[in-house]
Amino acid sequence: MNKLLLLLMLLAGPLSAYGLDIDPESIGGTTATTTPDSENSDEFEDFLFEDEEDIEVSDPLEPLNRGIFWFNDKLYFYLLKPVARGYRRVVPEPWRVAVQNVFSNLKTPVRFVNAGLQGKFGDAGNELTRFVVNTTIGIGGLFDTAKDHFDLRKTDEDFGQTLGYYGVGPGFYLVLPVLGPSDVRDGASLLVDTRMNLLYYMAEGRTYWGLRAYDKVNDVSLDKDTYESIKKDALDPYLFIRDAYMQYRRNKIEN
Amino acid sequence: MWKHFSLTIIPVILLALATPVMAETSPTETIRVAVDEILALLRDDQLDKDTRRDRMRAIIDARFDFRAMSQRTLAINWKKASGEEQQQFVDLFTQLIQNSYVGKIEAYTNETVEYPAEKVKGRKAVVDTLIVTSSKEIPIDYRVYLKDDQWYVYDVIIEGVSLISNYRSSYQEIVNREGFSGLLARMEEKIRELDSPSAGDGNDPEGTSPS
Repeated sequence: MNKLLLLLMLLAGPLSAYGLDIDPESIGGTTATTTPDSENSDEFEDFLFEDEEDIEVSDPLEPLNRGIFWFNDKLYFYLLKPVARGYRRVVPEPWRVAVQNVFSNLKTPVRFVNAGLQGKFGDAGNELTRFVVNTTIGIGGLFDTAKDHFDLRKTDEDFGQTLGYYGVGPGFYLVLPVLGPSDVRDGASLLVDTRMNLLYYMAEGRTYWGLRAYDKVNDVSLDKDTYESIKKDALDPYLFIRDAYMQYRRNKIEN
Repeated sequence: MWKHFSLTIIPVILLALATPVMAETSPTETIRVAVDEILALLRDDQLDKDTRRDRMRAIIDARFDFRAMSQRTLAINWKKASGEEQQQFVDLFTQLIQNSYVGKIEAYTNETVEYPAEKVKGRKAVVDTLIVTSSKEIPIDYRVYLKDDQWYVYDVIIEGVSLISNYRSSYQEIVNREGFSGLLARMEEKIRELDSPSAGDGNDPEGTSPS
């Protein structure tokens, strides 16, 4: 999954819990307001955005979600980020990119199987090729040789997208502890995808979790303060991230 | 020989007839020029911060249609607002978007930007761009429309997430909760926050921003 938004998704930042209903929005029809601006400023609304759809987000657990969002935010600022920063100072970028490549390579079955389930056999084949190339020539996945030399890029598929492809709706919005924004469909899918990650079969117990944590820290070290920049701009980061997440997932499913 | 001549003249004529609908520059070129200018400003060490910021704002102002964006962001609330409130919103929103866009671009100053595709449909177009970093690629699409032979941006889509849609949902909630004036107040506060020198890089162990 694209790291940028995953990160973005990853962490959260709260503000006090507001219990709130979401009004499904009506996309503006035409208006009568006179604007100081010339011509048809209001017609623009229709002309530019006529093929827009609104995403209606169901968030019945909002107070709970906001609480977990707050918790994740603290976790990020007090633990994850300082560790990632320290790590970043010590380990040069190329190595960290290599680490990310290795972890990503191990997740190939997730992409491969889910692409296949959606009938995207070209992409599935692509993932298989990538895996073989990167594991052999790319030395155990350290190098993304498939991309660098053969221009074979990763296609992000996961079980949540597969379900979405078959018409399963997202359900309601969920903020997962540590993992960040999700929804009923995608949260449940994690259970499936985790078991398709080769890492699951290569390590156990503490080593497994330690490696998963390391993967995350490494990702954060490569990130450019995505979460901070969202927090900085948004009037309400919780809402902003929630809606971004829903849009992002919908877009991924539709590809 | 006549046949050959007419075969070539027809495309030429068709092209000439088609021209009135086309702008001088293509959407991609328009975006590329603006992005290049902004990146050049970011990479220029010699510039002092204020000059750089002012110049970047000028570039963004010239390309982004903030009024269209504001209308779309507020949706029904735009109509409910008075002309004066609308203008206030546009002004504040403009500042916020500028800050936001510049803030995000800054992080990618030293990366390359690619322009893989463009789709034009009548007076609207989408310019696909890609920021290529060492570890990932970030798609940023610009939705533009044609006015007076120039292309203007009316939405920015980052990794499939439309900024305008996103803002709209949040702002809608805030208006519901705190009214239009509440929204404007929050926007002003956010702008103050962003402009203040202590607005570092969000390194806040104190975590939350003031609500």
